[in-house]
Amino acid sequence: MKFKSITACALAMAMLPACTKTDSNELYQEIKSVDKMVFASMAITKTAKMESSDWYTVGKRIAVYSYDTYMRAYIDLSALQMDDLVFDEDAKTVKVTLPPVVTEITGRDMEMRKEYENIGILRSDLDSKERAEIKEKANASFKAEMEDNPMFKQQLTDAAKSKARKYFETIFEANGYTASIDFKPSNTDSHVKD
Amino acid sequence: MLKIKNLIIIAVAVIAIVAIVLYFSTTTPNKTIDVRKGQISNVATMAQLCAIDIYSEVPILDTINNKVMFAVQKQKGSISFDLENMQMDAEGDTVKITLSPEIVDLYEATEDNSWEVIDTKAIGKMALLRSDKFTDEEENALKAKIKRNSKKLLYNNGTIERARAEGSKNLQALMEKVYNKPVLVVDPTPKGAHYEEFK
Repeated sequence: MKFKSITACALAMAMLPACTKTDSNELYQEIKSVDKMVFASMAITKTAKMESSDWYTVGKRIAVYSYDTYMRAYIDLSALQMDDLVFDEDAKTVKVTLPPVVTEITGRDMEMRKEYENIGILRSDLDSKERAEIKEKANASFKAEMEDNPMFKQQLTDAAKSKARKYFETIFEANGYTASIDFKPSNTDSHVKD
Repeated sequence: MLKIKNLIIIAVAVIAIVAIVLYFSTTTPNKTIDVRKGQISNVATMAQLCAIDIYSEVPILDTINNKVMFAVQKQKGSISFDLENMQMDAEGDTVKITLSPEIVDLYEATEDNSWEVIDTKAIGKMALLRSDKFTDEEENALKAKIKRNSKKLLYNNGTIERARAEGSKNLQALMEKVYNKPVLVVDPTPKGAHYEEFK
């Protein structure tokens, strides 16, 4: 990965003098076929404050930025087997056992929101590297929270299960069946996919 | 003799001043970054069929207001279809479903260094006298362009077309299990519902 960054830097140096427009050809791209049914998503706001001062500085240099990170909960439809749906034609009922609900981090906002800034006239403005550093710290804190606090995942999973039940009950009802929906137990309960 | 002594004093004073300026210009003040605990700002429910997951690393070279930035961004995204707003006709022997417009979600990844700024510089007239620092508005405008360009690429390199084909196949398999009869998925826009906008 480091080699790719170095290659990209070298390419950029060659291109800088002639640069007038956006150039964003992929350095690496992975397109993966999946069969996921997404039932819930969650936005989590992280806010970070940066302050820099020392004995020789005059004036304040404080900036507060925030951005959202997103999670989603889904079931893997490729794991749904024919015998997970048991129809009773006489009673017009169907018992459905869905694959377990899995949660994953979808990504974060590209943009950052400036919540507050106080930069004295003798102090320098924040630059892009500093904003990237703030985001990096906030991201590390977010990932640690996801590992330590199961509340986020639990709330998302509950919302997804409730929505999945409603969705399948409605769709089977339209087909003339009364459905009872259940979920297979999860074997990755404590882990959030990144 | 006095003249030489004065010259030495002046030289020492100049060296001292240069050393002090160099010290403060190369020393960065103590910096602290405090991060607040995450707050849930929104929980939404939906029923979407996700057919493609995307991961990419994109080198960014862009100019805004005579300032150039080079950065590397890791992106994550997905292409999904809204199952709740699909046209469906289940009356006959075959269930007929029309595939809905694709939902293309594109985010910055959450891996370490997913937004890495390599360099910025000012260009054009008087470039040496102007700041090369991007304001947050300029940086956000640049990122909005990145997102649009990446989406455009997905339409033009056939990824959206592939996602719609995979989505049709997956939707057919799911609905055949649910309805227990043949399902036909019709795709009115195989290249993408927003192909004209992004081509």
